[in-house]
Amino acid sequence: MNHGSFSWRTAAKIGWREITASRSKFLFIACAIAVGVGSLSGVRGFGRAFRHMLLSEARTLMAADLSIRVFEMPTTEQIAVMDKLVSEGARRTQITETVSMLSSPDPLDAPVLVSLKAVDPEVYPFYGELRLEPPGRLPDVLRPGAVAVSEDLLIRLDLKLGDIVRLGNNDFRLASVVKTEPDRMAGSLNVGPRVLMSREALDATGLIKPGSRAAQRHLFRIQPARQQIGAVRKQLRAAFTEGLIADYTETHPLITRGLNRSERFLSLVSLIALIVGALGVAATMHSHLQQRLDSIAILKCLGARTRQIVRIYLAQTVLVGLAGGLLGCLVGAGVQAAFPLLIERFFPLAPPIRFDPLAAAEAISVGLLTAVLFTIPVLLSVQRIRPAVILRRDHEEPGGAWRKRWRAPQPWLAGGAIILGISVIAAYLAGGDVETRLRTGSMFAGGLIVSLLVLAGVSWALLRGLRLFLRNPRWKLPSALRHGIANIYRPGNQAQAVLVSLGIGVMFTLTVFLLQRGLLTQMLASAPPNMPNVFLLNITNREHAGLEKMLHTWPDIQGKPELVATVAARLRRVRGTPIEDLGLEGSMRRFRSARSVTWSAEARPQTDVTAGEWWTPESAKQFQENRVCVQHDTAESLRLKPGDRLEWTVAGLDLSATVGCIYKSEEVRMGGNMDFVFGPGSLDHLPLQYFALIRMSPAKVASFQRASYARFPSVTIINGADVLEIIQQVVDQIALVVRFISFFAILAGVIILASSVAATRFRRVREVAILKTLGASRRRVIAIFSVEFLVLGLVAGALGSLLASGFSNLLLVRLLEAKARYDLAPNLTAVLLAALIATLAGWLASYRLLGQKPLEVLRNE
Amino acid sequence: MIEVRNLTKTADTGTHRVEILKGVNLTIPRGQFAAIMGPSGSGKSTLLGLMAGLDAPTSGQVILDGVDISGMEEDALAAIRGRKIGFVFQSYQLIPTLTAEENVLLPYELNGNGAGDGAKRAIELLEAVGLGDRRDHYPVQLSGGEQQRVALARAFMARPPILMADEPTGNLDSANGSHVLDLLIELNKREQTTLILVTHDAELASRADRCIRLRDGQIDSDESR
Repeated sequence: MNHGSFSWRTAAKIGWREITASRSKFLFIACAIAVGVGSLSGVRGFGRAFRHMLLSEARTLMAADLSIRVFEMPTTEQIAVMDKLVSEGARRTQITETVSMLSSPDPLDAPVLVSLKAVDPEVYPFYGELRLEPPGRLPDVLRPGAVAVSEDLLIRLDLKLGDIVRLGNNDFRLASVVKTEPDRMAGSLNVGPRVLMSREALDATGLIKPGSRAAQRHLFRIQPARQQIGAVRKQLRAAFTEGLIADYTETHPLITRGLNRSERFLSLVSLIALIVGALGVAATMHSHLQQRLDSIAILKCLGARTRQIVRIYLAQTVLVGLAGGLLGCLVGAGVQAAFPLLIERFFPLAPPIRFDPLAAAEAISVGLLTAVLFTIPVLLSVQRIRPAVILRRDHEEPGGAWRKRWRAPQPWLAGGAIILGISVIAAYLAGGDVETRLRTGSMFAGGLIVSLLVLAGVSWALLRGLRLFLRNPRWKLPSALRHGIANIYRPGNQAQAVLVSLGIGVMFTLTVFLLQRGLLTQMLASAPPNMPNVFLLNITNREHAGLEKMLHTWPDIQGKPELVATVAARLRRVRGTPIEDLGLEGSMRRFRSARSVTWSAEARPQTDVTAGEWWTPESAKQFQENRVCVQHDTAESLRLKPGDRLEWTVAGLDLSATVGCIYKSEEVRMGGNMDFVFGPGSLDHLPLQYFALIRMSPAKVASFQRASYARFPSVTIINGADVLEIIQQVVDQIALVVRFISFFAILAGVIILASSVAATRFRRVREVAILKTLGASRRRVIAIFSVEFLVLGLVAGALGSLLASGFSNLLLVRLLEAKARYDLAPNLTAVLLAALIATLAGWLASYRLLGQKPLEVLRNE
Repeated sequence: MIEVRNLTKTADTGTHRVEILKGVNLTIPRGQFAAIMGPSGSGKSTLLGLMAGLDAPTSGQVILDGVDISGMEEDALAAIRGRKIGFVFQSYQLIPTLTAEENVLLPYELNGNGAGDGAKRAIELLEAVGLGDRRDHYPVQLSGGEQQRVALARAFMARPPILMADEPTGNLDSANGSHVLDLLIELNKREQTTLILVTHDAELASRADRCIRLRDGQIDSDESR
């Protein structure tokens, strides 16, 4: 069949002429696309830079990109693997950590147990800053015969710089004070004040002999251009089967979790912004086609096939889509430029943000694809336009047409294409492994389908209900109210379409807000700003009461100090089977050694019981035997479940208990995720040791240390204030980004919502003219239309907020691994705001109609 | 030739049904100039629209040159309209964003065989209707009469064997209306088309070979001259 010479060029020409004839409408469409594309490219762009910035800080906590900790010297094969990495461009250094007794020149002073750390001063640390007092270069300070120590050692032994101390076989001069040590928390054997020395100095002490308990930490700084963390990690894992390997994303669970969740959140939000933008495009194109019915009918009269007409409007969508995409990239670049200025006020570091052309191209493609996808149903509706609309407008098809439409394949194909397209885009943007991507894609598809069905169904029921309600003679409503409500279900009002698009808009916008709130609440609860930052270790039973009293009365301690009882227990049997026979491999063999266990009267906050039941103080009184709750990962390693019997040896005594529950804890604090937590009374009469967690301002720590050492010389104080401040900063930065992006996406959503209502403007033109001709005052016209806008906004708001609660909780639990929650306040606010926005938007778009002369309008008919 | 068999058309206004045509039977041979007359609401525009395949009948058949178009799918109807039927509307129905020349060219671009003489024919037709020098003007820049003349030129662009006109002078003053009618009849004679004209103007109808009167959706009288 000859389709003539109606080329894409002709279609584009006609499409372009229509664009220039309705500039403001198409500018709006371009902006709707720009919003989605801008948020996508902005989020992806500074998401990468942000991650880089955060991970730079995370790297300082490890002083490396990757570390591997073992308790033996490396074998020849292991050295070969590490040397190979170095030959590929990585840098390596070895740190040895051990404990030893240090004695001062005064024979009356008792020796002190210290944490020794031997480094290569020319190389260490790879990241972060080791601050010394007086300031100096580490290689200059750690000369032969010299050490740097933490301030608490000076306080403890009443020493000053220049004094001589003895370690092992050698004397050393105290050359400097270590003010900040970036990887203090990442090390092991942190049992006493820090003594930092060179590797040569450690050799000179003679402390490292075969069988000595020393930890070797091999730090790596990789060459990013040539090496991938994953691949390096794999090689090291193969060589060091028993070693504990960690990379910079795992320096602290808060950072790991915060990063992973916030990245997923950001991807979700940018996708949502894209969908909402695309909805705006679809709503406006739909309205545009309604206004172009005459032109389309004329073309059909002249012999145009559906395919030829669709070319015109597809060309329009693509032209405007590209314009919107380019505009969006500019917006995204603006967002990226503005963000560092925003965080500069709060944090000293600013991310190095560079414009990424690939990210921009990706964003434009995704934006255009989404816009075209959502416009498909609108374009397909061209087929249903009968040329007879020119002759006669307002008659519905006699019964049966909607059934015919349902049976026609095109709407199903179009719907299927959109759902599939959105799922693929969601999966692509989500990132992560295949399972996460599939989950994200299917959740979005499912959420969209359910929402559309619910909205379409409820809006159909509402329209029927309104019609019946108004026809009932019992309801005597004021005429303006009656007219306004009747407007909603009049033929051609497309109220159902407006409700669906408004409802979806509210749903997605509110989802962003609820997700953000849920995520931040979770993050702040697990890392509250008043987290403990100073830790007291090795508190004996004898010292416990006295120290507790001191802590409770010390004025500089913020909040309530916490003392946790622990005892070293060695697990001997699981369900009657000796632990040696359980086949524990690799790092799980740590369960064969003595590990700290504790007890608790009840479950701590942020504890999630995944199996069994945690006791309360009352229920614990009924126990006939010891109960223990096991941490989730430990339970998985040992294959434990509630009811299993465990047996330990503690200081030569037997201890047994039944597993009461398995738990997970979001709480990140020392002792927060202990392997085994016993019930009250289980650890009585055992040689308990305590540790304490307190919070104070970094400036007050030194004076507290002096007072503590004076009364309790064997209690070790670890000042984590500086390190924890870094962690807290990282968490706060994540929270700020999450809030910023959410605000941006929500703002975009509001604009799109407004447009859905504004797009219906053209229908009112004729009606206003006729009403005014018949004598209606402006006030009357305003009342009628306000009722219409309000009802649409309220219904869409209510439906959208219900759907948002469901959808956001689904995403929180399944994708962001956070807790579900329901808040009445944001939902109620959303309903009211939707009504307000719908009314304001409707009027902003339509107010000029009030001033138009009726004859001008009617003459143009 | 156009044949109409037992044609009915009903329309649903939402609250009740309206029977617009109630079993019309009609045959219009090739080359005839037929006028369809009747009072407002008699169904004449609807009958014309059904004969042009612009709408689907509720029941009955419309046979165009031996082909039953009544149950045809929209794209197939469009193809037939593009090749066989030129249409002139009461309110001109030009595409507002295209120039006079581009409007005239549309049927050629939609249905033409790509032989290349489209542009030349468009200019010839515009000159024939006296608007050769206004071909770059948009509809909003032309008067009502001028717009209707452009619509005339467009209707003849694809050399259709059948021309249908629905009250072509309805929106024009008498001078313009007369001029447009003269052009229509002149072009019709030149192109040898079958012309079917809907009008309520008796004087206009008097110039036709045949006058079909409708009343209440049925043929009231059918007189040939």
